[in-house]
Amino acid sequence: MNSPLDSVVLFYLGPVPITQAILTTWAIMVVLVVGAFALTRRLTLRPSRRQAALELMVATLDTQIRETTGAEPDPYRGFIGTLFLFILVANWSSLVPGIDPPTAKLETDAALAALVFGSVIWFGIRGGGVGGYLKSFAAPNPAMIPLNMLESVTRVFSMFVRLFGNVMSGVFVIGIVASLAGLLVPIPLMALDLLTGLVQAYIFAVLAMVFITAAVEDGAHSPPSPMKKDA
Amino acid sequence: MTIDWWGLGLQAVNVLILIWLLARIFWRPVAGAIARRQAAAQSMLDAGKAAQDKADAALAEVTNTRAGIAAEREAILAEAKAMADAARKTALAQAQQKADALMAAAQTTIARETEAARKQNAAQASALSVEIATRLLAKMNTPAVQAAFLDLLIDAIAKMSASDRAALASAATRIEIVAATVPDEAEKTRIEKAVADALGGAADLHLVGDPELIAGLELRSAHFVLRNSWQADLARILKEMKDAA
Repeated sequence: MNSPLDSVVLFYLGPVPITQAILTTWAIMVVLVVGAFALTRRLTLRPSRRQAALELMVATLDTQIRETTGAEPDPYRGFIGTLFLFILVANWSSLVPGIDPPTAKLETDAALAALVFGSVIWFGIRGGGVGGYLKSFAAPNPAMIPLNMLESVTRVFSMFVRLFGNVMSGVFVIGIVASLAGLLVPIPLMALDLLTGLVQAYIFAVLAMVFITAAVEDGAHSPPSPMKKDA
Repeated sequence: MTIDWWGLGLQAVNVLILIWLLARIFWRPVAGAIARRQAAAQSMLDAGKAAQDKADAALAEVTNTRAGIAAEREAILAEAKAMADAARKTALAQAQQKADALMAAAQTTIARETEAARKQNAAQASALSVEIATRLLAKMNTPAVQAAFLDLLIDAIAKMSASDRAALASAATRIEIVAATVPDEAEKTRIEKAVADALGGAADLHLVGDPELIAGLELRSAHFVLRNSWQADLARILKEMKDAA
């Protein structure tokens, strides 16, 4: 059995090694895009059951974003929703025999964490400008700037590690049990892995949303500087 | 454990592309459908509210109109009542006037009829009185009364003018001395002689009886009558009473 920390390179595109995780990611992308295209082809004013289910999903996501951030969900819906959907489908792709979920690999989770890191900067600058975003590091006071900067890195690192650890461990445990106990024994563990995948996708999306919201709010409502207060 | 940086970058690009694609073909269309439905529902609500407002306005207008109709009805009723009152007063006044006129006419008629009845009663009373007197006086036709009437006749002849007396005495026609009862011959002769003497001539005198006289002596010729009886007196009294009534 290969180490779950190692990526199996299937082939190379020039200098770029294409691993199974990347290939699976592409397949997930195709499934998601084609599925989304097929599901959203005929959206009408009077919804079918399919459209009602889609709208329920979007409305639930909007509600989550609104309750978490207190802001309108339009700017964040695409990023947060896609993040949740991709991680969920990637986690659940372990159900397909012979497929390891991309999120069980370091590169995928690190890429997702990097995207969250970048999105925090992007939405922070978009919400409060460059100055506002930089001032967010001075909240609640400038003495916290080093800690805040360190936190901005460590929190996404913790997300990355959490997602990777949970998914990888699930795959690893199921692999060990399947190799030891036979065909039907891993099924309860696989069901638990499904729940874990769902919870991890939810946690990742919610944390990303919280980080973005914190950056936007701190940039928009940065406290007055002590010098101004003394003056 | 090593990090495949190519893999990390490629996965980041993959997820970015997926975010971009799903944002365009999934999240926006579905959110747009929700927004369109919300807009449609809002427009329906607005239309419903507009219709409600319109209905409320129409209801208010109808209420106002109804209030106006009620006020107009009240005004018309008040006007009709005033007209009816005026007409009633006019009719009442006219009726009162007619009633007064009728009452006046009736009073006049009553007064006239009362007067006529009174006159009739007076006439009947007079006639009754005369009848009673006639019956009473009929019982009093005594020689003394007869003698008194003879004296009255002589006196009346004496009071006549001489020419009338002469004309009466020389009349060719017969002169009747009318008494209530024909006395005996001696008395008859005495009466005729006394009358002839009063006339101063040899007139053709004849004493005749007429119970209608009750009592008394009268002279009657073809062209002359000298009343001297209770009948004549009662007739005169009756006439005077009638004239007085």
